[in-house]
Amino acid sequence: MTTERNDPLVFARETRADGLTILRQPAPPGSAGFAATYVAPAGWAFDPAGREGLSVMTSLLAPSAAGRRGRVALARELDRLGGSIERHCAPESAEVAVSGPASELEPLLGLLADVVLRPRFEADDLERVRRQIFERQLRESTQPGHRAERELLRAVFPKGHPYRASGLGERRTVARIRRKDIETFHEATAASDGGFLVLTTSRSLREVQRLADRLFSGFPTEHPVGFPRTEALRAPVRGARTVPMAGRTQTEIRLGGAAPPRSDPRFPSLFLANEVLGGRSMLNRLFQHVRERRGLAYHASSDLEAMRWGGYWTAQAGTGPERAAEVVRLMTVEVREIGTVPIPSAELDRTRESSIGEIPLSLETAADAHELAVDAAYHGLSDHYWKEWPPLLRATTAAAIREAAGPVYDLAHSTTVVAGPNA
Amino acid sequence: MVRTAGRTPSAKRFRLANGLQVVLAARADSPTTSVWVWYRVGSKNEWPGVTGASHWVEHMLFQGSPKFAKGAIDRAIVEVGGTLNAFTDTDFTAYFSTVPKEQLSIPLAIEADRMTRALLTDREVERERTVIHSEREGDENWPEFRVDEELYQLGFRHHPYRWEPLGRKEDIRALTPEALRKYYRHFYGPKNAVLVVSGGFDSPEVERTVRSSFGRLPAVGADPHVREVEPEPNGERRSTLRGPGTTPLVAIGWRSPAIHDAETPAAIVLDVLLGGETRLFSSGASWGRGGEHPSSRLYRALVDPALAVRAASEYRPRVHPSLFTITAQAAPGVGLDRLESAIRTQVERLAKTGPTREELFEVRTKVRRGAELAYEGASRTGFRLGYFSMLGPVAFESALLRRILAVDRSAARREAVRLFRPGRAVVVHYEPTGGNDDHGA
Repeated sequence: MTTERNDPLVFARETRADGLTILRQPAPPGSAGFAATYVAPAGWAFDPAGREGLSVMTSLLAPSAAGRRGRVALARELDRLGGSIERHCAPESAEVAVSGPASELEPLLGLLADVVLRPRFEADDLERVRRQIFERQLRESTQPGHRAERELLRAVFPKGHPYRASGLGERRTVARIRRKDIETFHEATAASDGGFLVLTTSRSLREVQRLADRLFSGFPTEHPVGFPRTEALRAPVRGARTVPMAGRTQTEIRLGGAAPPRSDPRFPSLFLANEVLGGRSMLNRLFQHVRERRGLAYHASSDLEAMRWGGYWTAQAGTGPERAAEVVRLMTVEVREIGTVPIPSAELDRTRESSIGEIPLSLETAADAHELAVDAAYHGLSDHYWKEWPPLLRATTAAAIREAAGPVYDLAHSTTVVAGPNA
Repeated sequence: MVRTAGRTPSAKRFRLANGLQVVLAARADSPTTSVWVWYRVGSKNEWPGVTGASHWVEHMLFQGSPKFAKGAIDRAIVEVGGTLNAFTDTDFTAYFSTVPKEQLSIPLAIEADRMTRALLTDREVERERTVIHSEREGDENWPEFRVDEELYQLGFRHHPYRWEPLGRKEDIRALTPEALRKYYRHFYGPKNAVLVVSGGFDSPEVERTVRSSFGRLPAVGADPHVREVEPEPNGERRSTLRGPGTTPLVAIGWRSPAIHDAETPAAIVLDVLLGGETRLFSSGASWGRGGEHPSSRLYRALVDPALAVRAASEYRPRVHPSLFTITAQAAPGVGLDRLESAIRTQVERLAKTGPTREELFEVRTKVRRGAELAYEGASRTGFRLGYFSMLGPVAFESALLRRILAVDRSAARREAVRLFRPGRAVVVHYEPTGGNDDHGA
């Protein structure tokens, strides 16, 4: 029987004296695994000037040598325990996550603590990661999809805005980064104050707290730099960019603009607007109109990135160069409509119920369910947020969506990028 | 239902009179149910002129059947919060939906309807042609796709593994709707399929539904027999591709054993030793988790000393002998010949001395532990039960796991000697022509 104590949609949390917030999510029924994530305010918004790429580099180094283990020894220990460590860096934050069999929670959590609190940043690892970042920078420039995304963000956000960049920095800034820079950055950002430890496990909150107290103590005492408050700025005027990329076979199209942060009360409306426009279901308008009805592209979709300080929306498609102009036209029509015409009730009902129905699918594994908990921790959502989400969506009207979407999906303040052959 | 980590979940298995194999794996505590239909048809069953047909049929099975008009399949699943998709491989094609468990009747009705009666109208086939063309063009933007396609073209002169499941561009342009319908009618049907239902449901009730909805279907669907046998290569084959981008690649392939061959477990061990994992036994979705493996031989030999930015081996055993591949991306300033030579040194070393005792212990641990969470969740369970049902009897998966864990040093070395013997490799170099880099290099 599901009660609040074992419902993976109900969380329990506590903030320790050192400022670390611990959130516990019950593992889904029958799950043999667990997942844990440490989230720190350590994204590329905090990169010092002239050292752009530092946060990504620090994040990529996370699962290298740590504690008493070198990189290879750490990898072997993970294999021995059946676990894996993943890391993710974003403009505002950096995450390190561990997952594996529930029976190995303690030793795997110990490895996560080593990675978070005792990274060694060895010279060999640093150079290897530097080479990998150089390679990713090149891909970002030369792959049509990556390039189009990058050009879009550069058009939407002004210089200096953290959402404008991909976090990879430039070759010269990454080349300049030294071990000392990384150590200093880690000292300042691997914080307990403002940090979160999220666990998806069948163990109780008390057990989780005990484990966390034992393993995650001794955070750097220096206070982190704190969150800069950066206003999300809209692109001042409608823009269009083309990036010719000879020799490529497919043209990538991106259309987008700035959006409000996750905490904005309009978020549920904008979430539904994005779902209708090009969200996860195959019934979305872009997929239906560009692919299913006209056969113009293999992929056509949209995203809404709602972060702490702001966000942005994108619509994207990939098509043959000879069809690119027509696809841009269709995408533009759909974006205009989502911001100006109320969504018909049948379509809205379907989208709402689809989004609500997806929740059980998010609970198939501990790792899947964990994403909901990390989201709740980072954005300060309530312990019952995912229980409250269905009624919130059902209460969101077509009029509210249009009112919210109008100023966001505003073509006068958006940019179109076309990257590919004959662009 | 008893479910033990690392073991194939218990399931009820039966066969209908029309030949459909059914696997029902119920779990009372699962909030979702996943329905998978696997067909024993993939690009291996195609021939020149109809390459890409299996993949095209995969697209068409979402485009209308008598009870589900175009768009109705997506709508029926999505409206209840479910997810659906399909994929085409060389050996199989699989269709799946995962829905909240109360909605199980919907995917069952869809699969029963489209198993033999998909419409494949001229209009929809033509409309899908540009979509598939676009899918292929999108893949061609990636040097890795081009290299992989070239590698298999070089590696096979007769066997259908020589083309990608996406098919050749020329065939995508020329294949007629009638030819596609003929292909569908020949290969698709209960005789050639496995239905897997996994997750939360009442087994007796679902068995009754399956018997009534699928049991009515005609006993059609050819069990495809591929006649082409690829002769052993009589010399090394090489190719150099040049194209846009900044990704210099080396890929080497060696003829690898088929899934039922005696050498397969040892070849899997070599894959784990060199590349760090076998995707057959891992906790990731579908084919496994991918990613970096700093303790693997290739990583330590190529990435650590700055010869490569990344390096991976891949051996996914198929129904017929295929390729064991190693792919690496050269680090800046490292020539492709030098990188190729470094890769060859590694496989020669493995053939000469085999794995160490410690390495073999690590491989076994990794495979054993990887299998532990492989069946977590209804979707993953449906995938794995279907995949292994395509390959053999119920005990095939656990027998394969046992055989992998039993591979000793000498067996691993013997397989390395056999697999990597000189003069049999196919080699592709990708030389990027650059362009569009504005990253301040």
